[in-house]
Amino acid sequence: MRNDIPDKRAETDESQADLAAAVGVTRQTINAIERERYDPSLELAFALADHFDCRIEDVFEPDD
Amino acid sequence: MSEHTTSAATRPSSRKRYKRIAYGLLGASILALWIGIAVDRFVLGVALYWAGGLGMGLVQRFSPVELYDERDGTISRKASQTTMNVFAYVFVLGTPGGLALQESGLVTLPGEFYGATWTLFGVFVVFGASHLYYKQRT
Repeated sequence: MRNDIPDKRAETDESQADLAAAVGVTRQTINAIERERYDPSLELAFALADHFDCRIEDVFEPDD
Repeated sequence: MSEHTTSAATRPSSRKRYKRIAYGLLGASILALWIGIAVDRFVLGVALYWAGGLGMGLVQRFSPVELYDERDGTISRKASQTTMNVFAYVFVLGTPGGLALQESGLVTLPGEFYGATWTLFGVFVVFGASHLYYKQRT
């Protein structure tokens, strides 16, 4: 699943570790999501969208 | 951006610290077992080994931080699945193959073969029961 987390992080000037701590996962998990090696659970996807104050589809986009 | 604070339950430094304690207990318990065997105090070594394992479990269960996140769980599930697949092939192909070789007189199977076969059978019985249990609840 594609995602805009790196861009969103850049907008908020957060590191992967900052974001990981904010949504309750490890930095490695955020890194794996950004590299599209791991698809987050719905719960985590919603937490990320909530963190960036946007809709889930503004952060994630399914692969074609 | 929403207002979010980093709770103690998710703070990376806390998670690392408690993981270090948990794995430290496990490592110390294994070391104690080895030393116990080496100095011929086997029972004491096993008691310390169990205590360390219990301590690790208690740290994992009662630490104020979540030691593992959802990706850790996914990794464990995939690793378990791969392990079960490997041993399924070993069991399904190896057991009749070994018995056929024995019947043909080419080899004499050691007792360990039957022990391993029954152990694998037990593992797959537990897997089947577990699978049924979660199938009914998912």
